[in-house]
Amino acid sequence: MSEAHLLEPLVRRWSRRLPLSADDRSAILALPATKKSFGKDAYMVREGAHTTECNLLLRGFAYRQKLLSDGERQIISIHIPTEFIDLQNGILGTADHNVQSLNHSEVAAVPRSALMELTDKSASARLAMWIDTLIDASIFREWVVNVGRRDARARIAHLLCELALRLERTGAGRDGSFDLPLTQEQLADATGLTAVHTNRTLQSLRREGLIQLSNGILRVLDWEGLRKVGDFDELYLHQKI
Amino acid sequence: MSGFAYRQKVTGEGTRQIVALCIPGDAIDFQNMFLSISDHGIQILTRAVVADIPREPLQQLMLKRPAIGVAIIHSTLIEASILREWVVNVGRRDARARIAHVLCEFAVRLEARGLASKDGFELPMTQEQLGDATSLTPVHVNRVLKGLQADGLISRQRRNIQFTDWRALQDTADFTRRYLHLPGEDEIALAAK
Repeated sequence: MSEAHLLEPLVRRWSRRLPLSADDRSAILALPATKKSFGKDAYMVREGAHTTECNLLLRGFAYRQKLLSDGERQIISIHIPTEFIDLQNGILGTADHNVQSLNHSEVAAVPRSALMELTDKSASARLAMWIDTLIDASIFREWVVNVGRRDARARIAHLLCELALRLERTGAGRDGSFDLPLTQEQLADATGLTAVHTNRTLQSLRREGLIQLSNGILRVLDWEGLRKVGDFDELYLHQKI
Repeated sequence: MSGFAYRQKVTGEGTRQIVALCIPGDAIDFQNMFLSISDHGIQILTRAVVADIPREPLQQLMLKRPAIGVAIIHSTLIEASILREWVVNVGRRDARARIAHVLCEFAVRLEARGLASKDGFELPMTQEQLGDATSLTPVHVNRVLKGLQADGLISRQRRNIQFTDWRALQDTADFTRRYLHLPGEDEIALAAK
């Protein structure tokens, strides 16, 4: 695969949201991109690092997390292919959180300087980057609500609704089944719950016939039911502009 | 331009979560420039003066002037970074750390805009609002504030908060200012000696 082709998924995703001219497309595809692979749980970005590149996720999953001084972990987002895992580092320079690979993943690493040049050259790319940032922020707002104000059942159901919907939009998943290699511990860290509480909650969602989650596969059996338990309204994902 | 506002979301059950505080100098709804549906509410905390900028010229500015476009992205990124920290705050910190963290963050942000003095600052929130920002009940907030005061970390007169032991407050809050991406060193001037 040539280097330019690495960024084709990005061109496709951005062009679904806004018109990209031929010049915009070639400017994006001309970005120097290097393919990198990460193993399960490998650190992709470390908090405090001065970053020199931004990474577009090509395969697998990644998650952002912060560690507290007492060693507790909070997962703050989960990323799926064609998303940037650290676009902010193109502009901010110092990483304010960690990013880890959930399973085996691949990214296209783009030098920060080249990305900044792109924002200078292409108004559409600038706008697309900003919209990505805005949607990230919108999802973070919803996560504050999720861990702040929903009970355990709703938190887990909400997170599963969000991931299923985002995956579905990228064409991943079939018949309500999605690859979702999240451990119960990671689910707990994403919802601010204990592992035991998470386990009990998943069992109850399963008993009620809403979902199955095993061997890294999520099956949504009753979409409306799960949505209701999760108090889920997809508006904040801004899929339609 | 002056005054304070907050961003909030309401769950299906009707409970409110405050997800961000806006201080003078913040753009409160730039996202509405390109995302056509607002995904949260904005409420004014105190008497506030805002500068209304029509959507169309702002869009043009963003598209035509790269440096302004990047500056707008920059401010959205900082907002996102603060939101991440809030997920951590309500997700993994205990009540005392949560409240201390909000106080630290607010003080440092105000100081960076030149809006706080070393005498302390006016907290423009009721205990109920502080509770909605930290997912605690007002009773719990009240107890925590009294505790922080009794331990000599802060002193309060009505809504005026002074930091009597800034370092201890930061430790309690597990607060480091990196996520605010401000220039300058770790210590802030308004910490009382």
